[in-house]
Formats: sequence, C-alpha cells, structure tokens
Amino acid sequence: MEDCNMHSAASILASVKEQEARFERLTRALEQERRHVALQLERAQQPGVGSGGVGSGQPLSMAWQQLVLQEQSPGSQASLVAMPEAPEVLEETVTVEEDPGTPTSHVSIVTSEDGTTRRTETKVTKTVKTVTTRTVRQVPVGPDGLPLLDGGPLLGPFADGPLDRHFLLRGGGPAATLSRAYLSSGGTFPDSPEPHEVPNYGSLSRGLGVRPPRGGPLGPGPGDGCFTLPGHRETFPVGPEPVLPAGRSQPERFQAEPYGLEDDTRSLAADDEGGADLQPDCGTTARRRPDCGRGLRTRACEDGADDGGELREERPLFPAATAPLAQPERGSLGSLDRAVRRSPSVDSARKEPRWRDPELPEVLAMLRHPVDPVKANAAAYLQHLCFENEGIKRRVRQLRGLPLLVALLDHPRAEVRRRACGALRNLSYGRDTDNKAAIRDCGGVPALVRLLRAARDNEVRELVTGTLWNLSSYEPLKMVIIDHGLQTLTHEVIVPHSGWEREPNEDSKPRDAEWTTVFKNTSGCLRNVSSDGAEARRRLRECEGLVDALLHALQSAVGRKDTDNKSVENCVCIMRNLSYHVHKEVPGAERYQEADPGPPGSAAGPQRRRRDDASCFGGKKAKGKKDGEMDRNFDTLDLPKRTEAAKGFELLYQPEVVRLYLSLLTESRNFNTLEAAAGALQNLSAGSWMWATYIRATVRKERGLPVLVELLQSETDKVVRAVAIALRNLSLDRRNKDLIGSYAMAELVRNVRSAQAQLRPGARLEEDTVVAVLNTIHEIVSDSLDNARSLLQAHGVPALVALGAASQSVREAKAASHVLQTLWSYKDLRGALQKEGWTKARFQSAAANAKGAKGTPSPGGFDDSTLPLGDKSLDGYSTVDRRERRARGSDPAGGSSEKEPLKTEPSRKAPPPGPSRPAVRLVDAVGDSKPQPVDSWV
Amino acid sequence: MRGNSRRPRLSPSSPGVKTRRFCTHGRQRECVKQRVEIHKLRQGENLILGFSIGGGIDQDPSQNPFSEDKTDKGIYVTRVSEGGPAEIAGLQIGDKIMQVNGWDMTMVTHDQARKRLTKRSEEVVRLLVTRQSLQKAVQQSMLS
Repeated sequence: MEDCNMHSAASILASVKEQEARFERLTRALEQERRHVALQLERAQQPGVGSGGVGSGQPLSMAWQQLVLQEQSPGSQASLVAMPEAPEVLEETVTVEEDPGTPTSHVSIVTSEDGTTRRTETKVTKTVKTVTTRTVRQVPVGPDGLPLLDGGPLLGPFADGPLDRHFLLRGGGPAATLSRAYLSSGGTFPDSPEPHEVPNYGSLSRGLGVRPPRGGPLGPGPGDGCFTLPGHRETFPVGPEPVLPAGRSQPERFQAEPYGLEDDTRSLAADDEGGADLQPDCGTTARRRPDCGRGLRTRACEDGADDGGELREERPLFPAATAPLAQPERGSLGSLDRAVRRSPSVDSARKEPRWRDPELPEVLAMLRHPVDPVKANAAAYLQHLCFENEGIKRRVRQLRGLPLLVALLDHPRAEVRRRACGALRNLSYGRDTDNKAAIRDCGGVPALVRLLRAARDNEVRELVTGTLWNLSSYEPLKMVIIDHGLQTLTHEVIVPHSGWEREPNEDSKPRDAEWTTVFKNTSGCLRNVSSDGAEARRRLRECEGLVDALLHALQSAVGRKDTDNKSVENCVCIMRNLSYHVHKEVPGAERYQEADPGPPGSAAGPQRRRRDDASCFGGKKAKGKKDGEMDRNFDTLDLPKRTEAAKGFELLYQPEVVRLYLSLLTESRNFNTLEAAAGALQNLSAGSWMWATYIRATVRKERGLPVLVELLQSETDKVVRAVAIALRNLSLDRRNKDLIGSYAMAELVRNVRSAQAQLRPGARLEEDTVVAVLNTIHEIVSDSLDNARSLLQAHGVPALVALGAASQSVREAKAASHVLQTLWSYKDLRGALQKEGWTKARFQSAAANAKGAKGTPSPGGFDDSTLPLGDKSLDGYSTVDRRERRARGSDPAGGSSEKEPLKTEPSRKAPPPGPSRPAVRLVDAVGDSKPQPVDSWV
Repeated sequence: MRGNSRRPRLSPSSPGVKTRRFCTHGRQRECVKQRVEIHKLRQGENLILGFSIGGGIDQDPSQNPFSEDKTDKGIYVTRVSEGGPAEIAGLQIGDKIMQVNGWDMTMVTHDQARKRLTKRSEEVVRLLVTRQSLQKAVQQSMLS
C-alpha cells in the first residue's frame, strides 16, 4: 500500500490515513491524561464546583463537554465560563478529528465579544474534521472558583497536552518533564494564595503576556496544541489586544499578519501611520522610499540590485525606536516586537519557569513532523523568530533548516506551503547572502517558481514573489532566477497585471495595469536581475511579452497620473536597464549602425527596415532617408516608419518611448523613477546607431529638452547626474547641442557653482554629479563657439576656476580644467576673457593639472562614465554603476541626504532665468522642408 | 438642450458637453469633450466611417490647419463625407480625436490611429473628441 516509489494519490491517502490513526491514538492517550489531570485537580480543588462535566470523564474532550454542556443547559453557562464579564477575549479554534464510527452532531458555539453566541451544528458521519471556534473571555479563571476547570479544557488538554505528547513522540525529553511540571503545578494550586489566577491560567497565559488564540482559521487539530507554543502564542498579535480592547479583533488579520508576510508586514504598520510622507500605495514602496532617500545610494539604473529590490534595506528603517513598534496603538505589532527583542524563550522562561518555548532545533524538527498543521505552525513560528533576527537566520541555516523549508514548498497542503514560503521570505531577507546561497543550493528557486505556477492564492503569490525579490539581490542568484523563473514571472505576473494584451482587438478597452503587491514584488525582482550584465539583459529583452507589458504598464501609469509608486519605479528601472547598450546587444543591431561620418551607404540598413506605408507617407520617405548627411542636420529628420507595429525589445528604442519617458520626467515625483527615466533617455541617446539619432531628435521634437533642463534643478543628486549625462548624449545631435548650449548653460553653471560654492560638507553635489555636469558643459562647448560664448555669459569661468582651485577632488579639478582649456582654445574669446581679467596662466595652470590633456581632451581626461557610449567604446553606464556601488557602500547613508535641503535653497529661492526661457523656446522649430500632411480616409 | 445631453449618441445640435481634465504633454488643461458614436457603414468589403484624419506624432504638426497649438500632434478630423456615418453621428471637421473606444489618440502615430479606427472586428466606434467651437461655447457660457 505504501508504495514509496509511487507518489500516487493512493500513497498520499495512505499516509494521511496513517496520520489519522496516529492522531487517534494520540487523542485517546490525551484523554486519558486529561481524565487523570481532572481527577487530580478535583481532588486538589474545592469540591465539586461545576465539576459534573469533568467527573463524568467521558471520552469526549473537555472542550466538547463544555460546549455540549453549554448548549444543553444554557443556565450553567455562567458557572462554566466567566465569559461575559471577562475583559479579555480570545478566539480559539479547535479542530477535532472524530472517530468515523460514531456519527455525532458537533456543535460549535461562537461567542463574540459582545456576548452573543452563535452556534452551528455539523453532522459528522465520516471521518470529518470539525472546526470549532470558540470565543472565550479570557479571564484568569472564573471568579466562581473554577480555575482548573476552566484552565483545563481551555489550555491544558488542548493546547498543552498534545504538545507534550508530540515532544514525547519526537523523543523530546524535556517536554515530557515540562508536562509533568505543568501537571504538578496544577496539583499545587491550592498552596498559593490566589491559585486560580496565577498558577493555572496565569502561568500559561499571563506568564506569556497574554494568551493569544491558536491558529485561528488555520484549523489546527488537537495536535495543534503542541505548536501553539508559548512563543507562538506570543507571536499572535492578538495578544496585546486585550490591553486595548478597542483594537481590531478579526482573527484573520492576526493570522495573516504576523506570519504571512515577512518583515515587510510589520512595516506596513509604519505605512499606515507614516502615510504622510510615505506613499500609501504599498508597503514596500513606502518602506524603501526612505531608504532610497537616505541612501541615495542607488543608481536605480543598472543596479536595481543595489537598492533595488532588496527588502533588506528596510531593516535600518525601523530601528528599535521606530514609530510603528513603539506606538501603543500598534499593540499587536508591539507584542511581536517585544517577542522578537527578547528571545521568546527567555521571556517566558523568566516569567514562567515551568513553561518554555521550543528551542530552534525543536522547531526545525517539527518541520518534519508527520502532522501537517504542526509543520505549518512550526514554519510560521520560524518566520516569526527570524524577523529582524540575523542570528536566528544564521542558526536556521547552520541547523540545515533551509532545505527542510524548501522541501515543504512542494507539500500537498496549501497551508504548509504558504507557511514555509513565509518563513523563507524572512530567511531570505537581509544583507547576509549565505542564506540566499543556501536556498539556491537546495533548489529553492525552482521550487519557488513551481509554487508560483501552481498557486492561485494571492497571498502565496505575494510571498513567493517577495522571496524571489529578496533572493534576486544576490548577484550569483540573478542568473538562476532568470533561468528558472523569467518565463513564469513574466507570464504569470507581469503580463496579466500589466493590462497588456497580445491581441488588443478583442477588447475595445485597454486595460490598465494593476499595481498589486505581486506585481510590485515581481517587477522588483526583475529589476534586480536585469542588472546582471549583457546576458541577463538579452534574456529579458527576448522574453516574449515582457517589454510590451512593461511599456503598457508604464503607459497606463502615465495615463492615470499614477507615476510615483514603487511598481512604476521598478518598471522604469527595468526599461532603463534593458535600454542599456541596446545599440550593441540587440540582434541585428549592426544593420542600424551609422558609420560615424555618415556615409550615404550607412543608411541602407535602416532603409530596408523602415519601409514606408505609402498610403500615409507619400513621397516623403525618399528624402528623409536620403543619407546620413541629411540625418546629421537633424532638422529634416525623418522618423522611421514601419509596416508592422514594433514589438518585444524593438519597443525599447522606438522613438515613441521618448514621450513616455518625458511624461514620467514631467509627472513623477519619485526620484528613482526620475533618475531611471532620465537614465533611459541617456542610454537610448548614446551610441551611434540610427535609433539613437532618432531618439535624440525625438527628444527635441517632443519638447523634451526643457523638461530635462528643468530637472537640473532637482534637489536630488542622482537625478541631476542622470539628466546631465543624458543632456550630454543628446548634444551629440548638433541641433540639440545648440539649443542646450543656449538654454541650459545657466543651469549647468549654477550646478557648478553650487558644487564649489560651499565647502560645507553636505551642501554640495556629489563628485560624480559634478563631474557629469562638467563633462556635459565640456561637450556642449566643444566645437561650438556660440556655446562657449554663452558659457562666458553665464559667468561660468569664475565658477570653473574656483572649482578647479578649491575642489578636493582630482576628477572634478581635471574636468573643470578641460572645460577652461577648451574655452581658451577659442581665439575669438580670448579678448573677452582677458577683458574680464583672466590671464592665460589661469587656463594653462588648469590645463597643467590635467596631465596629458591638450587642446582636444584625450579620453583620459574625461570621466569615462559620462562618455556617450557611442563615442568611445566604453562601458560607460555600467562603469558608473560599478563605481557607484563601491563608492556608495562606503558612504554613510546620511551624508547624501543631508545635502538635499541645503541644496534646495539656491534653486528654490532664485530660480535662474535660464530654464524659464527655454521652456518656451527650447523646442525645435520643425524642419523647413515640410512633408505633405498625411490624410487618411477611414 | 440640456435634456438631450444624456443621450448616449449625440448629435451636433445637442452637444453633451462635459468638462474634464485630461492631460496632453504632461500638462493639464481644461478641455471640453464630446462623445460621438459612429456606426460603420458596410461598403462592399469594407466598413467605412466616412471621415478622414490627419496628424499623429509622426506628422508635422505645424501644418495642421485645425489645431490652435501648432505643436499639437493629435489626430484631427480633416474631412467628413457627406451623409456618411460620421456626419450622421455628428462628427465635424476640425474635431480632435482624443480617444477611440477608450484608446488614447493623443500620442499615437498617424497609422496607429488609422488602424485603431478601422478595426474590422468593430462595427461601432466610440470617439471622444474635443472641438474648439465647443470649447469656446463653454467658455462663453461660463463667462456670461
């Protein structure tokens, strides 16, 4: 029967049966013990208060007796339980497996807080699980002196008895003693002055703070008691509830919260409250937001990883002092917190010496327990233990708990899978990468992906994707996730949630994206993995539907003006990462390369590609694509026209995306989104292929330059940097260069000035940003006398000289001197410069600083990272990233955030006239050779 | 006039005027929109709407005779055939098409717009249009 080879339904059934049998045996033993206890107590207690039920010693469990009693003689209710007056409310759920032979009628009575009683009856004819939910006023025992009776059925037999059993079963010696201890404690009651209160109930519930309910909806069986351990109870946020009777008391919530969600969940509380400046939308977002703000450490770019998805950054967000946990209203969380802070076992051990929490090895052993609810609760307890506790996480790994949990992901019971995944989510979170590696080593990623495919339950999907998000921050795991999960994540989550449809014809209404937690987690995970280098990018680009769906989601975000949330940020970051080096990495990219000087032949490739739709674009095409020369002028740039709509990765670099990014740049207030959108434009406008040319022109035509210039005023360093680099790449387009030179110069110089003006720490831009700005200035003054002139007019020279002299940074000084040098190289300007009192020496000495850079700046003189990618075949973008990652690591997170407020002053108080002008005029006048307007009958 | 404004299908004489905020170019403007529902007419194999469009983000907006803002790259109704479905439904020359069956038309290429309008599977096209005359009328009514 028990065919190990065949994992058929039969074998599962068999094992279930076996478990049930075992359960029965246990129950029987349990009852015996209970009777024993009852007798003992009876003897010890005052005689016969309401002991009828106990004395009878039927094989029914105490709880049942009570219930039955209650039902039969409502009058006796008072004597049985002191419910109504009790200040504390508890909901208990008991699942009983009944003997099949005795068809009985089970009655569950639910007494709610207000004292009303609901009763349901279930006829049981077969082996059936009945879940009884009782709401019990949790008094330390009835005033009518029924402490033991009360305590007995409520706690002893159900909760504790089985525990001991299980421990015994598992060979848990200490547990056995424990139970004895408990029993004997019962016996000694009379000795203590207020026995009813303290030792019996109090010892169990009080000692633990409050006695929370067990599994709630979980439906734990009697065996459940054993994992409803003290610690476990504490984990139930219900615990503190009594303290605040007004608190919410839906058991579902409690159940879900403490375990279901990892660390994150707690922070949700923070969100509830701190909603003011944090985003209301979702936990992670809000949670991470401060992190990003503070750290500024993310180049949201190529490195989703860095800040990226990882939830780990949360940790610093709510240090012990943080609001959510400290606040009284957060009672439930508070209790959790408390439980975490002092190890629960210590906690209860101190207060109640006769009771202790299971040790970690015991919990892990319970993961192997034959009874499923035990496994589930052990996992849940484990999740709780791991919250914000790196030590426990480490020990779980050392005790080889991770493989156990991963194995449970494929467990036939949903509850077990869910709990195991919850535990893994917490375990996978944190800076410590060893746990992530351990999860990988035992096949965790494929298991999670399998679970995601199978799971229909939203909570499980959130947990799985959250875990994957956590895992994805670990470099070596990125490819693993791509290998096993990319398809599933895309097709199970991204595409359906983005609202994108392969065949939009079916439905006349475009669907909007849904910013669900699952979507947020998944996009965060993909954001992280998208930074894993060329191969990762290739895989993501070629994953069918991914780019389309992301684009659709972003478009829908722009359409709904909902551009600040985390999901949008993740999507833009993925897009930005995928846009990186697109001109080199996309299949067939060679065809679009423009030979640098733009020989006529180079346009041949594109030509094939952009076959015009004759009906729409009459004779226009011939001219537009005439040759590279034409494109060089850019005024008459003809955007490519295609017969079939672009799809997949082609969408990344279609000029249409420019408008999307510009909309984001205009509307979003999320710095990471701003940075990523600017970074995407930067990536797209780099390189020498045809599409970059189109993108540069499109940015101008879509009036993107004013938008970008305006963002140079951003108070966020990294936004300024991304925008500056983007402007630099855009100025590869001659027309852009002129426009930027005329209208952005003042703003750029202002950035330089604010870079050097105050040497107060924290007041200035970061080095990278300053260098980026300087290089942008250099780029736009090179080969453009007019631009050099406007630099002069913007009083750029004093700023540059001062920066060169004062800056502590070699790179900054170098970059500044390059600009000055270039300036001096314009003979026409020398007169003006000398008139202003500058001498050649100034420029020369500056030049001398920058060794090896003469006249035309050598590549060495540049900061590589800011080079337009096309110019030098440098891995510009990722260079930026890598370096940043390192630099940031050492940077105290607070440093950069301090800057912001200070920096805002200049920009806020006196907005320089520069940007307002371009807002009107920085728009490209549409080319002079105008194509005939197209007109189509429909 | 007022009473008519609830009819799902609007005729030009009874503009169901709605003031709404929407966004073009990332900037908010007040706009007056009207819904127009056109039932396509079968002509041989084709379903026709009976109007022509111009504009689109791939087109030169400065040549659009109907737009007030010469950088507006929206889709405009350039001609309406007499007695055609569009005219019957109340579409007018110079109307700017904001949406087609819920799809945004303010940032699409000319071709995308054309395709969106000419889907064979759709016999009815619901347009959201804005027209200057409407806008002026509303402005005046608000001033007076």
